[in-house]
Amino acid sequence: MASVSEMYDVTWEEMRDKLRKWREDNHRNSEQIVDVGEELINEHASKLGDDIWIIYEQVMIAALDCSRDDLAWTCLQELKKQFPGSQRVKRLAGMRLEALEKYEDASKQYDSILQDDPTNTAARKRKISILKAQGKSAEAIRELNEYLEHYGKAAFCLEELMMTNPHNHLYCEQYAEVKYTQGGLENLELSRKYFAQALKLNNGNMRALFGLYMSASHIAASPKVNATVKKANVKYAAWATNQINRAYQLAGRGTKENKCSVKAVEEMLESMQITMS
Amino acid sequence: MGEVELSCLAYVKMYLHGCLFPRCSVNGLLLSSSPAGGTVCVTDCVPLLHSHLPLAPITQLALTQVDVWCAQTQQRIVGYYQANACVSDNSPTPCALKIADKIAEQCNNAVLLMIDGGKMSPDYRVPPIVMYERKDTRWTLKDKHTIMLRQWEETREIASQLLDSGDHSLLVDFDSHLDDITRDWTNQKLNAKIAELSSPANGNV
Repeated sequence: MASVSEMYDVTWEEMRDKLRKWREDNHRNSEQIVDVGEELINEHASKLGDDIWIIYEQVMIAALDCSRDDLAWTCLQELKKQFPGSQRVKRLAGMRLEALEKYEDASKQYDSILQDDPTNTAARKRKISILKAQGKSAEAIRELNEYLEHYGKAAFCLEELMMTNPHNHLYCEQYAEVKYTQGGLENLELSRKYFAQALKLNNGNMRALFGLYMSASHIAASPKVNATVKKANVKYAAWATNQINRAYQLAGRGTKENKCSVKAVEEMLESMQITMS
Repeated sequence: MGEVELSCLAYVKMYLHGCLFPRCSVNGLLLSSSPAGGTVCVTDCVPLLHSHLPLAPITQLALTQVDVWCAQTQQRIVGYYQANACVSDNSPTPCALKIADKIAEQCNNAVLLMIDGGKMSPDYRVPPIVMYERKDTRWTLKDKHTIMLRQWEETREIASQLLDSGDHSLLVDFDSHLDDITRDWTNQKLNAKIAELSSPANGNV
């Protein structure tokens, strides 16, 4: 079978950079990661320098997803050799046991991490995942509640995340979605602000753009707001409509295939405009 | 109650949606191009989300857009499907019930379909689905004998083939569309592929 570098005509540096991009964007495209990562490790390990360790980790997790235990095992051994006694590697070992459905062993692995470091949230979360995977929902919920007591509710968690990651538009946008879902005028206004903030951080975030449009429209349509607030929100919604239209016009050019979705958006925006005025 | 017919196209896309995101809960809408009344013929589906299913804004957005598209293409939303991330539990979640309720407001013999993740391997002999219908105000399990999947063997074969060839990655759900709006959530490309693979005897329901 042709190698990845042959098939796609890429250099090892490009492959390494692709892996980095997928790491940063948190892509779980495991099959691709395995293809690219395995080749990098087998053919170019010596050139990767210290990057190789994080690549081992990334490839290992992807290998578990693709039932490639041989590859996962190899990566794990390399990491164990390099970082003996590391909590992070222990967690990876636990994940492998989970993938093999050896839940009791995996749980013991995480318990050993928590013994040394009771605040290790990653291990705690994995224990909860195990309970979920075993269908033990009641116990999972109990553990989750204990864990969340340190953090309050979902919105609070996201607030923490936003504080420590102020440039992350995804957390901002998710927080806005949670607020929107909670409902009520105050939460809607908050959601609109956070959608707007997410857009400031990344003006390509379509979810944030649609979210801004929907929250502003709902506020403008609410009988509880005064004329000033209504006017302001009509403006926000109109601005969002404009941006959405432009984005879809741009997307619609050249490709025949998304004409249907483009048309659907146009009509939707038109019809919602009528209900707002 | 009534009979429900599930087309090859609808089944294959739902199945592939679940396969594309094995770690996530996924959901989508079931559509019909047949007129209301009598057997509910599910002729197509639109895969919606693979993340944060219980969050409202994107779901609302998707429902609205699919509504508009249906009006443009003479289809109706007749149901909802979901596959839970945890394969050992295929009971409808509160979010599934909520969305199904909303759909039932507009379509009185709407169906709620849960995909049984534990039974999805290609060599399984029966369709891995569980259907619910609305009786009074509650969603109750439908009698298996009122659910029809014509040419099940062929349908299963087509789904397998698409998985093997990697073509399942052609599937675009609403979530993926929002990540890249040049991607088409009506899945015209994949529909064509599926039509190609259906034998002439199958017909395209």
